[in-house]
Amino acid sequence: MDHAKLVAAIETARSEVLEREVTGLTEDTRLFEDVHLDSTSVLELLMAREDIVGISVDRETLDMDDVRSVGTLADYLDAQQTGSALAAEPSQA
Amino acid sequence: MPVSVATLERIESFLPQRSVPIADLAGTLGLTRAKVGVYRKIFGLDNIRFDPEMGLFDLVLPAARAAVSSVDDPGRIRQVIFAHTIQQLTPANIDAAQVIRDELGLRRADAFGLSQQNCASGLAAIDVAAELLRAGGDPDARALVVTGERASSPMVQLVPNTAIMGEAAAACVVAIDGAGDSVDSYVLRTLGEFAAGLLLDDAGNKQFGKRYPQVLAEVMRSALAAAGLAFDDLDLVISQNVDTSGWREAIKELGVPKEKLFMDNVKHHGHCYASDVFVNYTALRDAGRLVDGGRYLLISVGLGASFAAMVITHHRSPPHPAR
Repeated sequence: MDHAKLVAAIETARSEVLEREVTGLTEDTRLFEDVHLDSTSVLELLMAREDIVGISVDRETLDMDDVRSVGTLADYLDAQQTGSALAAEPSQA
Repeated sequence: MPVSVATLERIESFLPQRSVPIADLAGTLGLTRAKVGVYRKIFGLDNIRFDPEMGLFDLVLPAARAAVSSVDDPGRIRQVIFAHTIQQLTPANIDAAQVIRDELGLRRADAFGLSQQNCASGLAAIDVAAELLRAGGDPDARALVVTGERASSPMVQLVPNTAIMGEAAAACVVAIDGAGDSVDSYVLRTLGEFAAGLLLDDAGNKQFGKRYPQVLAEVMRSALAAAGLAFDDLDLVISQNVDTSGWREAIKELGVPKEKLFMDNVKHHGHCYASDVFVNYTALRDAGRLVDGGRYLLISVGLGASFAAMVITHHRSPPHPAR
């Protein structure tokens, strides 16, 4: 899934978490300062996206810096997707 | 004159048999699927012990009876302290502490409840018991600290953005200079500005979330310093079953390695009010994971907000059984 699609998925998730329609997010939108999500809401947002973007959030690897903005969250989701894809491939070793 | 040392002569615990996946409680607790995901994947919860058919005293008495049976003459137990989180556990005409004392046949003991420190009340009660025993001056006297309460309504089963409460009970026989684990230090810090607890408003909750890691780390450091120890000297940190980002931040700040934390029961039991630190202690002891002479840091935080830390030295085989 490319970044634009991830951003759209985050937008949909945010609408679900806040229970109202949200539009106009960009990669630079800050999740805490600009859209006033608290840390738990951001975590909820991640959970709401797990099944849609095909990742599984690992709390051992999740850092608060990953959820500072829409862009960093999309990067995190992207990295998790890549990790999942690699893990799904049989080892060549 | 040497300082008299509080000792934990026997700790027992009890869990209801019935285990419930937290996802099954989503409806009654008003949790969305995403919220359940946060509690499971971020806070590490999975199942809790929860039995709505069980009464308060059915829950509390088995561990208390087991602890009393370790005392050769239960008449030596002078205080029964029922430490709990929820203030009103029984109708106003029933004093739960006195019922527990009577059911245990300890009619000579004083009995009272203690709940001001909420989930940290269990550790606080050990300190209170030790002070009462010291003041009494009888080396044969003992005190019994009892914990345990039911998650009787959704309002007290969910600590928003922190934990889902499970049910458990525990009991601890306290002595002065007795056999058993010695209490090497105890530190309690209370931040009264958060006294509203579950009723804190958003701003209060945010402020509490901000202070939590820093104060928790300070209290842990202070307890270790008071015991003359460094983190390297500890065998294990035995915490209540709360694994929030605040707890992780405190641990990160202190640089405690993961293998020194016992958090295995978060997924099995959830947070059990004032009982889980004792439940975790008995789980480790019964699995043979407490080392004779090992140093352990017990941690509990209560809404309100009280941060309690206690360093103990474990003695697997008491050299002098009950006198």
